[in-house]
Amino acid sequence: MTAEQIKETLYKVAGEVLEKLAFIFSFPEEEREPMDYSDAVIARVSFTGPFKGTLLMAVSKEALPEIAGNMLGLEDNSDAAAEQQYDALKELINVICGNLLPAIAGKQTVFNVEAPHIISSDEMMNSRGAGQPSSAAKLDMDDGQCDLMLYIEN
Amino acid sequence: MAINVLIVDDSGVMRAMILKSLNMSGLPLGDTHQAANGQEGLDVLNQNWVDLVIADINMPVMNGEEMIECMKQKPETKDIPIVVISTEGSEKRLERLRQKGAAFIHKPFSPELIRDTIRNLMGLGGADDGGAD
Ligand SMILES: [Mg+2]
Repeated sequence: MTAEQIKETLYKVAGEVLEKLAFIFSFPEEEREPMDYSDAVIARVSFTGPFKGTLLMAVSKEALPEIAGNMLGLEDNSDAAAEQQYDALKELINVICGNLLPAIAGKQTVFNVEAPHIISSDEMMNSRGAGQPSSAAKLDMDDGQCDLMLYIEN
Repeated sequence: MAINVLIVDDSGVMRAMILKSLNMSGLPLGDTHQAANGQEGLDVLNQNWVDLVIADINMPVMNGEEMIECMKQKPETKDIPIVVISTEGSEKRLERLRQKGAAFIHKPFSPELIRDTIRNLMGLGGADDGGAD
């Protein structure tokens, strides 16, 4: 797959998972500035397999209650506790990563996806210090933004 | 007649989503149990009568495949119908699960797919006798 195809796949998978799992519509905004990560909740998941690497996902703090509320089926979105909001983001990145890797590497491949974690924006900056992501996606949603960064190590 | 269900997933939000789908499905639900990994799932099975297991694959402590392996080795649990709900995309792993008799649902899923998969797996008949949705 070319870098361009990987990026397209990242956009497609992220958009579909946000819609089907969290009932959130998102729009690719390739040209916009990266988000303000100090005002975001960030999740990280690592994987090994035919290639290994990391996926990062940042979501605006103000967008997360609706995402978690939709996933939990809450009537009032503000009712999702912080822990549930983190859990919702972790499951989102888990499902995005699980769908992304075979879409890139093929259905015959076997990847091991580790448990996702919530990380601070400082930790995220450190990961980014490792260099440019292999691929990145910028999405806009009604209540905020979502950035995804895919790092492939080999 | 009511189906006692065990939901095994390391994500509490995902367990809530699956439970919501079951509640909407019109299936005759009995007790519902939850566990956060395969080992907890086996503990629930040891102490409760369960008619259907819905399990994730990737979980800490004990993953879904290992849990199914253990279930298959015990006479009391080897015939319990199993639905695996996972992001797993590897054909190799899916084939291994099919050989163990598990049905498979890919995440993200629709509530209808959960309902229809369980109906087929448990031989619960047509689409119009549930009626809750
Ligand atoms: Mg999981």
